[in-house]
Amino acid sequence: MSRLHTVARRASEGIVRAINVARRFELYRSEPLLAIVLLVEVLIFSRTGANFATTGNAFEILRLSTEIGLLALVMTPIILTGGIDLSVGSLLGLCAILFGKLWRDAELSPWIAATCTLAIGAAGGGLNALLITRLRLPPLIVTLGSFSLFRGLAEAITRGVDNFTGFPESFLFLGEGAQVPIFAAVAVGVWLMVHRTTFGRAFRAIGFSPEGARYAGIPVERRLTLAYVFAGAVAALAALIYVARVGQAKADAGTGYELLAITAVVLGGASIFGGTGTVHGTLLGVVVLAVLKVGLTLSDQPSELAGILTGALLLVVLSGEAVARLFSERLGRAKIARP
Amino acid sequence: MKQYFREWSVAVSLVVLLLALAALAPEFFKPNQLIAILTTAAPVLIAACGMSLVITCRHIDISIGSQFALCSILAGLAAGAEWPMAAVAGVAILSGATFGAFNGVMVAGLGLPSIVVTLATMVTWRELLRWWREGAFVRDLPRDFQWFGLTQAAGQALLLATAATVFLLVVFAMKHLSGGRFVYAVGSDAEAARLAGIRPRLVTFCVFVLMGTFTGLAALLNAIRFPDVDPKTGQGLELQVIAAAVVGGVAISGGRGKLWGVLAGVLLLSCIAPALVFLKAPPQWEKAIQGSIILLAVAADGWRSAKEGSRT
Repeated sequence: MSRLHTVARRASEGIVRAINVARRFELYRSEPLLAIVLLVEVLIFSRTGANFATTGNAFEILRLSTEIGLLALVMTPIILTGGIDLSVGSLLGLCAILFGKLWRDAELSPWIAATCTLAIGAAGGGLNALLITRLRLPPLIVTLGSFSLFRGLAEAITRGVDNFTGFPESFLFLGEGAQVPIFAAVAVGVWLMVHRTTFGRAFRAIGFSPEGARYAGIPVERRLTLAYVFAGAVAALAALIYVARVGQAKADAGTGYELLAITAVVLGGASIFGGTGTVHGTLLGVVVLAVLKVGLTLSDQPSELAGILTGALLLVVLSGEAVARLFSERLGRAKIARP
Repeated sequence: MKQYFREWSVAVSLVVLLLALAALAPEFFKPNQLIAILTTAAPVLIAACGMSLVITCRHIDISIGSQFALCSILAGLAAGAEWPMAAVAGVAILSGATFGAFNGVMVAGLGLPSIVVTLATMVTWRELLRWWREGAFVRDLPRDFQWFGLTQAAGQALLLATAATVFLLVVFAMKHLSGGRFVYAVGSDAEAARLAGIRPRLVTFCVFVLMGTFTGLAALLNAIRFPDVDPKTGQGLELQVIAAAVVGGVAISGGRGKLWGVLAGVLLLSCIAPALVFLKAPPQWEKAIQGSIILLAVAADGWRSAKEGSRT
């Protein structure tokens, strides 16, 4: 009995020590954890998947994840402010079919139509921003409403059946590889904005405490408006890339993308309550999800497995820190109580 | 009146919609038609009761659509294995409670944000179901599955009576039982509730288990309306239910909400699609109108509180 007790105590002390080591090297931060996950993914898939470890495939992964990557990038500042935007996927759908409408029915040249689409996207984000800042409404509810509204408008305009195809070759090249440099440019831009300008610090400050940020002289409403309008404009950009990649615009474009974007941001270590998070974390999150999906496909695994593992990964990453905290609290208390 | 502005405004909108229908499309009020709308709305109402508890407790659950699908399929499989109907109902409700308990452990036990936890479980359960069933319907169910083996009229009556009973029980519990008051207290201020001797984490856990239980019951009541079970059922249910609760006046910031408002919200949102059909409008507008109703409802609230704020 007492031997068992000793063994149990040794084991628990070992666990506490392991946790402390992990804490010292910040292994519970999401970025190192995600980097390890990515490494494991690459190691496994380069064995199981044919043609996985090739430059062509790396480019393909980037090409396929551009839209979700763009949405995740602009979701990061919003989540930093403690907000959320559920409407970006629907806005992508609305922008896609409005672009088709402008090009086919209003007979604008693709580039003028694209410019108008970007403006429409910004206006959609502006509607969210207006309701959130002027009427002080919770972002979750506002964007839940516009989530339905934008998707509903897309369905109503196309009557659920119309779709747009036959775009000129000069536009389609946007989806055949040209989107990767655009994505890289937006990524660098967002990273600089969040980590190297006062805007970025303002987003964090608002996330920690909107009242405190106001007292510190930050124009909270203007910064929030910036975040949501920017998200709308980039959702429109993602819509253009989506249309160019798939070659057609339909009302259901981008369904569920908002959840994937939020998943990538949260995996990347951003707190959903705002205040903490990084853009490179988000990018890692996007890449981890994309590699998982492509790797499983190349390894002839069912596509559902990617979804299951995504959910499980999110839960494990989130609960890792929480479990570690609970463990060290409990054991710490037990140590003090022992005579 | 002033305190219940939202509840009243939703009820008035519902009455206005019904009056407009009475004037423009009186055939909407055929008893068969009304019962069809109510039987469609009843499962949503039950899920909305659970969601109101969750939101009042200052949490959210976006995984109920996936839970709903899994519970429906499990109930269908149990019925297909010739289990008695009581056991089938038990399977649906208990599996729902289990899914709810899983969310509850994550949210209340580990203190993780509910929106992220339920986002993860939503994706996991849905994809797990797709992986397991590969999109197959559950067919060839025994005759006592649809409408509990009763005639359609009796089945519909039983369904509506169950939904009404559950609704009234929740209304009573939220108003008169200490458990219901605990939910309001924890949603208003968890720390104050703790100091008052309430155990906020236990309350939160119970609320998530109840949410799952109600989802299981709703899935059962939805499944018995059809001869076979669709694995894609319940997609988007979470947003429909959250929308109904929010339109009905449940505050997303917790601690406030009346079940009567939620009832009006559910009825208003479920009347839109049939109303569009009867007014000969294109039915594709349903989602856009639902979205506008949500935005209008919260904007009216925000506008009112902004005006009051400037007055004081």
